[in-house]
Amino acid sequence: MNLSQQLINGLVMGHAYALVAIGWTLLLGVARLVNFGHGQMYMLGAFVTWWAVTKAGVPYALALPIAMCVGALFGVIMQRVMLKATLEQNLVSIMIMTLGFGYVFSGGAALVFGSTGEILDTALSRREITVGDLWMTWQDAAIIFAAILVFISLKWVLDGTRIGRLVRMVAEDPKLAMLAGVNVRRVYYGVFAFEGAAVAFAAGMVAPRTPILTSMGFDEVIMTFVVVVLGGIGSVTGSYLAGIALGLFTALFGALVSPAYTTAAAFLVLIALLVLRPGGLSAGSAGGVH
Amino acid sequence: METRRHYMALGVTGLAVLCAPMMLGSGVSVYSAAVLIAIFAIMAYGLDVIVSDLGEVSLAHTVFFAAGSYTTALLSTRGGVGSAWVTLTGAVLVAIGMAALIGFVTLRLREFVFSLVTYALAVVAMTIAANWSFLGGSDGIRGIPLLDLSIPGLTLTARNDRELWPYAFTLLALTIYLIDRFRHSALGAAAIMVHLNPRLATMSGIDPAKVRLQVFLFSAPVSAAAGWLYAYQRAYVSADLLENYFLILMLTAVVLIGRRQLLGPLAATALVLIQEKFFSLGGNVDKMILGSVLVAILAFFPQGLTGLARPLARMWTRRDARN
Repeated sequence: MNLSQQLINGLVMGHAYALVAIGWTLLLGVARLVNFGHGQMYMLGAFVTWWAVTKAGVPYALALPIAMCVGALFGVIMQRVMLKATLEQNLVSIMIMTLGFGYVFSGGAALVFGSTGEILDTALSRREITVGDLWMTWQDAAIIFAAILVFISLKWVLDGTRIGRLVRMVAEDPKLAMLAGVNVRRVYYGVFAFEGAAVAFAAGMVAPRTPILTSMGFDEVIMTFVVVVLGGIGSVTGSYLAGIALGLFTALFGALVSPAYTTAAAFLVLIALLVLRPGGLSAGSAGGVH
Repeated sequence: METRRHYMALGVTGLAVLCAPMMLGSGVSVYSAAVLIAIFAIMAYGLDVIVSDLGEVSLAHTVFFAAGSYTTALLSTRGGVGSAWVTLTGAVLVAIGMAALIGFVTLRLREFVFSLVTYALAVVAMTIAANWSFLGGSDGIRGIPLLDLSIPGLTLTARNDRELWPYAFTLLALTIYLIDRFRHSALGAAAIMVHLNPRLATMSGIDPAKVRLQVFLFSAPVSAAAGWLYAYQRAYVSADLLENYFLILMLTAVVLIGRRQLLGPLAATALVLIQEKFFSLGGNVDKMILGSVLVAILAFFPQGLTGLARPLARMWTRRDARN
């Protein structure tokens, strides 16, 4: 095993995990919401990008915003249906509904795009950067760059702008925020639209690394959840670091132990974490509401 | 008097259900659907106790269901066990063991975190089942023999779904009876109390953690028994037992009709399976229907269809009163 190459792979995967998880970071970390259809939305984002590039002949740079619009639209529709549960902060109900949505999406995508595997090829994924015997594709470099850019922007918006303050107010206490004149519904819609657009963008960036299937998506939500919880719920910087840590862990575990069990291993760590300090999570996810 | 009428009504319903496939033309597909409805309803009853009585949402019940199937498959193929009584005992014991472990680990978790950890366990179980060669890996385990419940002096076997139906029905009836008994037991009452007001429960001398663990231990073997029968019905098992289909089906079965309706999970499972088997619009559209039903019920009728029926009934009686 070439350790340096594994570390590079780990860094790329880590940035990919962080990028895929960014919608959840805002969702659970800031707005106290969850989306278990996240993986299927990732799948949809990948397929819309693939469709735009190969079937509609749209350039890749334009396919990404198209996928993001579709993602945002789905996010808003989901939020519209779940609005009552959202306002009641009924997380269990939201969790099951989003599982249901994910199931609908996977059926719908198989219907529209078929159930065979496809390859999302971009100009960047075919060219490589080589240094000595180490290498990565330009797509990998773009993932790292995009992840860093998106995280910095999100942190800036949350900490330094009026929109960020509104989102944090709603998360802190939706009822009080409503009394203070904040349009809580619009904030929830906005958060879900961001989640949908962000995961579609991440899919458009990350999906060229692997073949895409309409049945995929099962793993993404799991890895995303690990990133958000390991990062300390609510911390944007924490999520970024947790993504990289998870990427390195996955690369090394895959190379040294077994690639088949990386999800299981990552998740056992998470379960241990949740069980050992359940207060940490419940205080973060539903504190002050129940 | 009231209870006697209650049981008579249940008896008549039971008899009608038992004879239903025969009245529907005794077709192969009718029996196969009837057997599957019974199996999946039993699976859902295991979860029903947790959701309706304990008020928590476990997403790990597919694990118990799969554990029942896998135990049966391993014992009957590699273990060479012919008697289904032995495999049933094995399935139930394995499920209790796993439930004790999971229950103990998640004892302190409530609501969302509990659901989340149980979902995580289901995903981990799926990756393990799909990769571990002991469990057959992605191929699963094939060649499960026919169901053989023979006892000395009496041959009880099933070669096809038609012959399997009486056994599936019996297991279903037994399950419903057990759920009914549970709801009338001290444990059932304690579960409701822990559900509605844990502090009051503690004050009246109930240990919520103990009740939760006991209910968990009661519910897991129910889902596992469904898995046991499913292994014989399908003659093979694989990691697809842990797929989202069973989870979504189970959740829909529990919430569709309404909480704490004794025949609710059975009726809901029947509705879903009848749609899938006789009015199918293709696998993918069926998936969309099932997912949409689950979402729509939770979003718009959290009380289930009975919650929808109640205001309608009230409107009806009001109109009657006016006339």
